[in-house]
Amino acid sequence: MPTYNKHVQIENKPSMAAVGVEKALIAAATKDNRIIAVLEDMGMPGLLWWKKTFPERMIECGIAEQNGAVVAAGLAAEGFIPILNNFLFANVGRAYNQIRQSILVDRFNVKLIGREGAWGETGISHNTVEGIGATRVLPNLVILNPSDAVEAEKAVTAMFQYVGPVLLRQESSPPSMRIFADDMPFDIGKAFSIRDGKDATIISMGYMLTESVKALDILEKDGLDVGLLDMCTLKPLDEEAIIRVAEKTGAIVTAENGSIIGGLGDGVAAVLAENLPTPMVRVGVDDEFSQSGKVTPQIDELKVHFGLRAEDIAFSVKECIAKREKLAKKRK
Amino acid sequence: MSHDDKLIRDLEKKANVVRNNCFDIFGSTQMGHGGGTMSIIELITALYFHHMKFDPKNTDWPERDRLVLSKAHCCEAIYAALVELGVYPKSKLETYYCFGSPFQGHADRWCTPGIDYSGGSLGQGLSFAVGMALAEKLKMADKQANAPQTGFLQRYVVRFDPAYRSYCILGDGECHEGMVWEAAMFAAKYKLDNLIAIVDYNKFSLDGPTNEIMNLEPFIDKWKSFGWWVTEIDGHDMRQIVDALDLTNSLYGDYRPKCIIAHTVKGHGIPSWESDHIHLGRGEVIMKGIKEGREKYADI
Repeated sequence: MPTYNKHVQIENKPSMAAVGVEKALIAAATKDNRIIAVLEDMGMPGLLWWKKTFPERMIECGIAEQNGAVVAAGLAAEGFIPILNNFLFANVGRAYNQIRQSILVDRFNVKLIGREGAWGETGISHNTVEGIGATRVLPNLVILNPSDAVEAEKAVTAMFQYVGPVLLRQESSPPSMRIFADDMPFDIGKAFSIRDGKDATIISMGYMLTESVKALDILEKDGLDVGLLDMCTLKPLDEEAIIRVAEKTGAIVTAENGSIIGGLGDGVAAVLAENLPTPMVRVGVDDEFSQSGKVTPQIDELKVHFGLRAEDIAFSVKECIAKREKLAKKRK
Repeated sequence: MSHDDKLIRDLEKKANVVRNNCFDIFGSTQMGHGGGTMSIIELITALYFHHMKFDPKNTDWPERDRLVLSKAHCCEAIYAALVELGVYPKSKLETYYCFGSPFQGHADRWCTPGIDYSGGSLGQGLSFAVGMALAEKLKMADKQANAPQTGFLQRYVVRFDPAYRSYCILGDGECHEGMVWEAAMFAAKYKLDNLIAIVDYNKFSLDGPTNEIMNLEPFIDKWKSFGWWVTEIDGHDMRQIVDALDLTNSLYGDYRPKCIIAHTVKGHGIPSWESDHIHLGRGEVIMKGIKEGREKYADI
């Protein structure tokens, strides 16, 4: 077993981000009656609780996401803290310009919870991978992508403490495994080092942390000492942490359940290209739409198709180390 | 209800001052949305100088009436009114389109205290006004729920007035946006009788006659069928504007959002702009129109 940061508590059992989101949301709404749910006929984390406890704080827009986003902006302008929960393609994708024009321009305190990711049974429409790339270009927006229930709870709590627009990207299927201890520190804009290594560093977030942790096991067996950095905040990116691990290991692999174009991989690459050019491999979806895929205990068809398994990450780490060696030889 | 002639005359004079300020703005850049701005001069004047609760010295006053200019490209009219109200000095008119100026090319709440909505991407303003109107309802419901209910009278106090009203000025062209009708449905569902939409029905969009581009008619029936109270006025007749706005106030409590369809003329009052149905004018076109306007409204 590799050694981990003291705030890490790895348990090989499911720990859904959705559970943490719901818990933190209910806690926040109980304390603060400015928090208001703007529904788009797509439910809400803790829907039954809202219905029972706060029916007057549930505004139902129906399947009209563009109106929903701007109504939320109007409510925020008057001091409310609206939450828009939906599939990311709907509350962000469908209302992209509404979010830009009516929420972000004036930095209104609207919280977006968007579900997306490369896999699931729902197919090309719902298994979107472009969310981070599409939103990282928008000024004034904070983007979070927690992994397990513990981190999701901390992220949602931090999201409400922060005044301004936030997008929380939530991957619900398959569930992460438990990675973080209850006392993990969480700050928006700060990366969390799960493990320091010498040979290479994996930078990941969300569900892919689970695969990355599994990859560490594989790599350790192969005699490699690899670090793992959790980049829960995709915007603003923790540039310092990225440069620090790059300095230390000189080989960086990013792993994300989403498009590498505009995603975490691109973000990290840009930071390194400007500050400390370092050999890199980006694991993720490479310019392709997703589709339906069967998940059984034996096989996850989409994970195999996109190369997003622990084995794939481990392979990429070795590939990256080889790149570094080749480059070092060339420079000599 | 009937207002004396003096008030109407005074407002008409104010409208001319606002118009002249607009000419200053257009003149400084030789560019501007002349057509749509001229068609809402009287509406803006009636709202800012007579009807709305607005304190020029305290533009963030929580109980001010909100004005969402959904057709935010016609923000010149609001800038002109804000200058006349003393929120900004007259010298600022020349900074239109300049970096760091409060007078941006499209209305911007962040840059311009006194502006309630950052627009420019058409069709979104009504939803924003709806959000603000809904917030008023929610806050008042909270207040009433938390009020000490000791005596008979207190318990049965009826509110005659909302804390504030939300006004939204829409262009006719942007009513082609589906989102406008999403907001219309929503406003009726939540019984937002504190919301007043005013449509600047000047019949022309950028590509040509609005109803040839995409027919809006029967326009009034559409709003009615969405559950709105609707009236039609001449949007350049100050008495009709003031009366219609007063009527929306007196109807408060009927649980219906209100819509005033203001029939207007694009480029109103400026012969060359009227005949060209000007949208965004530049150079010669703008300067010719300003000359015509300054001559016509010189004696005020």
